[in-house]
Amino acid sequence: MKRFLETGNFAITEGAILGGCRFFCGYPITPATELAEAMSLRLPQVNGVYLQAEDECAAMHLCIGASLGGMKSMTATSGPGFILYADPYGWALGCEAPMVVMNSGRVGPVSGITGAPGQGEFYLTRYPTQGGNFETITLAPNSAQECLKIIVEAFYLSERLRMPITVLGDQLLTDGMEDISVPENDDEMKEMGLRVWPRLYHKGPDFYPASDALDIPPVQMGYDTGALCSDWTPTVEGYDIEEVEEHHKHAYRLIYKVRNNPQLYEDFYEKKYMDDDPDLVVVSYGTPSRVVNTAVERARSEGLKVGALRLINLWPFPDRHFSRKTKYLVVELNWDGQLVREVQRAAPKDAEVKFLGCCGDLPTIPDLMETFTKMLKNQPLERKGWVLEAW
Amino acid sequence: MQYQSSALVDDYLRTRKIPSTACSGCGLGINHKVVIQAISELGLKTKDIIWGTAIGCAGRQTFATWKGDGFAGTHGRVYAIARGLRVALPRDKKIVLTVGDGDAFGIGLLHLIHAARSNAGFTVIVMDNLGYQSTGGQFGFTTPQGAKTDSSPYGMFEHNLMSEGMDVMHILKGAGATFLARHTATDGLAAVESVKKAISNNGFSLVHMPYPCPTNFGSRHLGNRNAVNILRWMQKHTAPLGQEKPDTIWATGVYHDARGSRPELSELVWDSVGKIRRTGKL
Amino acid sequence: MKDRLEIVASGFGGQGVVRLGQTLGEAAVKQGLRVTMLKSHGTEMRGGYVRSQVVLSQKAIDSPMCETPDVFLALSSSAYNRFKDTVPAEGIIVYDPAFVEEIDASLPCRQIAVPAKDIAVRNFKRPIFSNAVALGSLAKLLETMLEKNVVLESFLEVIPKYKDENRNAFEMGYETMNI
Repeated sequence: MKRFLETGNFAITEGAILGGCRFFCGYPITPATELAEAMSLRLPQVNGVYLQAEDECAAMHLCIGASLGGMKSMTATSGPGFILYADPYGWALGCEAPMVVMNSGRVGPVSGITGAPGQGEFYLTRYPTQGGNFETITLAPNSAQECLKIIVEAFYLSERLRMPITVLGDQLLTDGMEDISVPENDDEMKEMGLRVWPRLYHKGPDFYPASDALDIPPVQMGYDTGALCSDWTPTVEGYDIEEVEEHHKHAYRLIYKVRNNPQLYEDFYEKKYMDDDPDLVVVSYGTPSRVVNTAVERARSEGLKVGALRLINLWPFPDRHFSRKTKYLVVELNWDGQLVREVQRAAPKDAEVKFLGCCGDLPTIPDLMETFTKMLKNQPLERKGWVLEAW
Repeated sequence: MQYQSSALVDDYLRTRKIPSTACSGCGLGINHKVVIQAISELGLKTKDIIWGTAIGCAGRQTFATWKGDGFAGTHGRVYAIARGLRVALPRDKKIVLTVGDGDAFGIGLLHLIHAARSNAGFTVIVMDNLGYQSTGGQFGFTTPQGAKTDSSPYGMFEHNLMSEGMDVMHILKGAGATFLARHTATDGLAAVESVKKAISNNGFSLVHMPYPCPTNFGSRHLGNRNAVNILRWMQKHTAPLGQEKPDTIWATGVYHDARGSRPELSELVWDSVGKIRRTGKL
Repeated sequence: MKDRLEIVASGFGGQGVVRLGQTLGEAAVKQGLRVTMLKSHGTEMRGGYVRSQVVLSQKAIDSPMCETPDVFLALSSSAYNRFKDTVPAEGIIVYDPAFVEEIDASLPCRQIAVPAKDIAVRNFKRPIFSNAVALGSLAKLLETMLEKNVVLESFLEVIPKYKDENRNAFEMGYETMNI
């Protein structure tokens, strides 16, 4: 095991390589540029290819092409680039091309603030493309070390479920530095719980069975199997067809291969002080969860019965964590409240669900402590005021 | 009536897609056959070619016609998919893309230019049916100027990529394409020869192949759906390069032949990766 | 040793604030500690403000934010004014009087002046070595947590140029710091 003081981007790069990634195509955008740079340095050293595309839409399409040709591929961007993935993301879902997509969230809408963290794409990662009739998987690590593990896992899931997997981070996660341990051999990988699934190819002729089964290999070009894949609704052999019954089978597979195999991703969460039915559960994901964890620890030391639930697997949304009637506080890096809506939906109707938003900067521990106290005392929460400060 | 298949069909095409769902009198089949004949004359087998298509008449009608492996990309992006695929596939596999004019010269032009720029080793056959026909007949960017279509009821008056001295081939040549040719559907064997050169090029090739759409273009612009009428009309406006007349719309022949002049994308990539691995630098 | 040590260094672009934080982090990694380091830039790489926030601990670190820094190195007036109030009574502010002209005497914490720029210019005729001086002074403060020679070794790795000057400047900073 080698230890480094390095960025989340470094961890993602090393994780991708450990997961078998040998093709990366990107387009420069803050704060994902450093990841592209790291890939351009590292991939050729391991017989991998780095290419820069004319835009993000092309970048993910190049990844689709490489994936169809048998290479494990990845692309990375930030919010303004992620929306340009809408086109290829749909193709990759529909044609079931495995790949990994990294989104390092910054402050939006549009270009917003480039160098500050945001969480404005919670729902966008669930619905990254048009048309519906699919299920998506999004994983959100909160540390550099976890980035490495989650990227390896994303490649693993993408192969077994033959689909793109989104890893959602933010600017602090990818740019921030931390001590990182990188395994140097298979034993060390096992020790760290890292698993890899090889790229296999579908021998046909039924490339698209109406089945939720795992481990149907992806359609690959170049093996002369007569493989077909297209943006149209496929028959089981891959021919384009305009019939609702065939479409139903197709949609069934895309939705239920994910929903019916939750064992693959449902263990990705972290609970802290959650064993004694806390009076208040603080829900978060990504970098803000680290401040939440510190704040909850502080709250416990002051006798407040507060627990922290951190989601790593964001989609499919893990409803089962919210079955208990209690108070929930959802902390997010946006002002509009996105995760909180899902928590409201999943929690019992009479549960109290509140939202603490901020954007561009992490919430502070005093802010969190004050909110915990108010909620526990049934006091109303105030909207956070804007303080103008001269820098 | 039983469809009588020719030797070319037996060797290369899937019978499931025959007869196609194309309109009566559609010229796409003429161009499609030109491409298959070129492949046959080059002695290539189904395993040698991965066939990609795009959206619209050309994409949908040619998708899954090839007996070997085939894919269809999203509208305008197949040139980006093909670049990634090119890098991943073994060098002896060829990629042929049959796409429409809207796909190549409209929505996909940026990606097409970058495919030419990187000299990506595949052949783009632009099956130009004079506009957006699968959506009912709107003008495209190589639709002849003045043409009446559903979206140009007074005649198409915008500047486009095929008139006033402009030619989409200028753009592609400037971008670095290493083989460019144009043939209308009435060019016959000359078109086969150009497609052979295109496919044998180890680099980016494009053959622009305008063909008649009697159903939409013929009925709106020429006043009837007679297939012979629109073929004659196209022939009248076609002339070999260098022999253009004032009413020539399509100058045909090999526009640019620079085969072998620049390294191909995937070769360049893998040679560079190999060098970096061995020596740590380029 | 404290459970969690927070160090903030802030100044303007080009002063080496990020490298300084990185050096402390590298040294901590070498000693088997857990580390987080956030670097934040203002709107511009140069001329805007730069801040690095380093957290050191023997346990896994949750929040990477330095909300109550144990040590705050201020290398510009605006940085000083922006973060001085976050330093708790038991914390220490280290500032360079060449950049921080006015000191808030009402603060509860200790404030130590390290004339890093002066020392650099006097001895090496170049202000770029002031971050080595500042780092040396921090190394003295952090001695109970980080070994001085590990910090120096890490610094020479992070900035491989001008090794002799940087080493000397570091030592001068170390000697200047009186605790």
